[in-house]
Amino acid sequence: MYVRHRSGTDIALLMGLVHIILANGWEDRKMLEERTYGHEEMREVAGAYTPEVVSDITGVSKEDLHRIAKTLADNRPGTIIWAMGQTQHTNGTAVVRASCLLQLTLGNMGKLGGGANVFRGHDQIQGATDVGADPSSLPGYYGLDEGAWKHWANVWGVSVEYLQSRFKNKKMMEDKGLTVARWYEAVLLDPKELGQDVGVKAVIYWGHSSNSISQMDRLKKALDKVELIVDIDPFVTNTAVLPDRKDGVYLLPAGTIYESIGSATNSNRQVQWRPQIVKPVWEAREDYDILLDFAERLGFKKELAKNSKYGAWKRETLAEDLLREINLGIRGIGYVGQTPERLKRQQNWAHTFQINTQRAEGGPVNGEYWGLPWPCWSDKHPGTPILYDISKSVANGGLPFRLRWGPKAPDEKSLYAAVDIRGSKAPNPDYGPGKAYGTDLTGQPIEEALAEGLAPWGNGRARIKAWNIPDPVPTHREPIHSPRPDLIAKYPTYDDVKNHWRVPTLFKSLQKPDWVKEYPIILTSGRQVEFEGGGASERASWWLVELNDMYCEIHPKLANDYGIKNGGWMIIESPPDLDAKPSMIKVKARVTRRVGPDTVFLPFHWGGFLEGKSLEQKFPEGTVPYGLGESANTVTNYGYDIVTQMQETKTGLCRIKKA
Amino acid sequence: MALTTARMKFYIDAKRCIECGGCEVACKNENNVPQGIARIRVVTVNEGQPGETNIAVPCMHCSKAPCVAVCPVDALYHRPDGIVHVNKETCIGCGYCLYACPFGAPQFPKGEPFGARGVMDKCTYCAGGPDEPFSEKERKFYGSNRIAEGKLPMCASICSTKALVAGDAEEVAKVVRARVAARGSGGGAWGWETAYPAGPRF
Repeated sequence: MYVRHRSGTDIALLMGLVHIILANGWEDRKMLEERTYGHEEMREVAGAYTPEVVSDITGVSKEDLHRIAKTLADNRPGTIIWAMGQTQHTNGTAVVRASCLLQLTLGNMGKLGGGANVFRGHDQIQGATDVGADPSSLPGYYGLDEGAWKHWANVWGVSVEYLQSRFKNKKMMEDKGLTVARWYEAVLLDPKELGQDVGVKAVIYWGHSSNSISQMDRLKKALDKVELIVDIDPFVTNTAVLPDRKDGVYLLPAGTIYESIGSATNSNRQVQWRPQIVKPVWEAREDYDILLDFAERLGFKKELAKNSKYGAWKRETLAEDLLREINLGIRGIGYVGQTPERLKRQQNWAHTFQINTQRAEGGPVNGEYWGLPWPCWSDKHPGTPILYDISKSVANGGLPFRLRWGPKAPDEKSLYAAVDIRGSKAPNPDYGPGKAYGTDLTGQPIEEALAEGLAPWGNGRARIKAWNIPDPVPTHREPIHSPRPDLIAKYPTYDDVKNHWRVPTLFKSLQKPDWVKEYPIILTSGRQVEFEGGGASERASWWLVELNDMYCEIHPKLANDYGIKNGGWMIIESPPDLDAKPSMIKVKARVTRRVGPDTVFLPFHWGGFLEGKSLEQKFPEGTVPYGLGESANTVTNYGYDIVTQMQETKTGLCRIKKA
Repeated sequence: MALTTARMKFYIDAKRCIECGGCEVACKNENNVPQGIARIRVVTVNEGQPGETNIAVPCMHCSKAPCVAVCPVDALYHRPDGIVHVNKETCIGCGYCLYACPFGAPQFPKGEPFGARGVMDKCTYCAGGPDEPFSEKERKFYGSNRIAEGKLPMCASICSTKALVAGDAEEVAKVVRARVAARGSGGGAWGWETAYPAGPRF
């Protein structure tokens, strides 16, 4: 069955399903009671999401809601899959949590064929997150506190004092950084408004396309104003051509993945070794070489490489040595066992893996799971193919929930799971976490836990109620740009946050019930399956461009109401945001029933046009892509997730007209 | 293994295609097909509605190919392995094949004055043409010859969901049977009966 709900109402939909499942007694009581914390509070919250209420919020009929719930209950285990549709919302974190709650309620967690599975946008995003591209953490999710810095100083063989000398002060060192979604505000705003003393003066883009980020007009202003722009990419990206400036922009051509070597981690936490297929062509260089030059010139290469336990940054073995450093340092989530040797061996014996179990049968990698999915606790561990599966021992790829928040919740309830991991030798389940398993570089605490059949991180409960983030149990909140003024009153968004990842972030003050009067149509955005990210590589393909133009998907009814024809030009205007100026794009209409009559959809891969004007003349000679088009993110609306600051590009408002 | 002549077929699994366009792009890149000519194209039916289906349509290299039957100059012919080729030096561009083909496979350069069609171009099953394999002439007129290299057509090689399967009839039939068995319903072998009806081979 296919059900289309109003964009931005995911939590109402998910909690509505939880409501129906609980009301009918279809929940997995054993899972909720033995392995979760706070399910009583979920019952309370879900109680309000009756089919009537949910139907009104989401636009999904009561009958369909019942059918979905019944289908999920009758077909267990089932999985929930999403890409950015759940995350790119002002309450994106809560939406994802609601999906997890639904799966816990159904007992679908920790099971083959179950789980809550996000598809990352492209190759290696998971790996980049794991090694600390997230500005709130050092590599391996250790955070930024003193203990985290101490651990990594230990791994790198340097002193914490030396590391601190690279920062203005200790506070800056331990404070979450600017995000890619908002960095430009730190160029534009008065430093007094920022969570740091000075504004941003230089920006380095590395393999990232700025047209995948919203608020294009603000971004352009910042790119015009910032002192230095460095764009490292195989292609000339949007970042290079957006600003109106003659100098201060440096393009460093980088090799593609085929021209480099190293490990990559996919969404399923599987790590694979990638050999170099060809040497970088033309003037392109491998990322490693560019990185080493930066380290040298920024003045920290000597000190950081000096005591490196693996090879002191020797160029010939750098890819392997980097992974060995990850194996040594990232113990908290089990990046210990994915050594270069094991990954290369798996690559050579790929044919011995069973396609359904992902496990090797016989041969030199017998019993290993493909990609040694983390946690892979030691160089003998087979990897963990499914998170939180306690039907097998940890040494054999099983895993309980992590005991992350101590033995007791603030309400004094136990956070120890009330069920043993199969095959564990623990006298009782009140075990762990093992002492310093994340920072002890000898690996002894990990080995001890595994010998007992236990997880180094203990046997905890999944937090249905997360007491330390907004909306401990997810509740519906209307998008900032909501088409339903009546529901804004009932389900308002969050209060503004003054210092949210170092920049002020608006919620309530921008949620105006009147928006819908002038901007009556829901605007959502997403991907085309044949494009990736900012689309620089695809738009440079003569063959692929033939199939595509930048377009707007519009329902036949809406198109006819506005006199817009399939293939004809249309204009989309977004509400004024921080600049008090509406933005517009001019694109071709694609009349289709893939969207509902209240919504239009834009793919975000396009660039090279800005508000009706071509940027073609700004590309260096010979680098103009075959495909140029308006960027969806010129008109996607303002809005950021209350926890992660992920941009709200899935739900906005707009008005349209025939061009 | 018995020594018999292979019989090449396409299996277009209508239940698997996700309309990524990979086959279209790979075909053009491999064979240097000009813009405006589509040797394979993905057709979407019931777009945006329950039951939406995507079908990649190349030349099916039919057993009883209507194009071969109607060609007045015998420019179209079957190879012994069942692949249908067009000889571009014989073709007079009459367009009969275009009307005869149930799949819309024959392609003609567009935009010629007075409806002149030029010679026909179509999917070669990545098997080049009547000229010397790997010769400059073959490359220019027909594109690559992967079959002579012992490889499968490019579209089927890169299909990410394996919706497009190519190869010897017996091998392809095994894939179809396995999918039918796994699904407990049809194999979604779109166009199969039209292209490869039961009865004596071509």
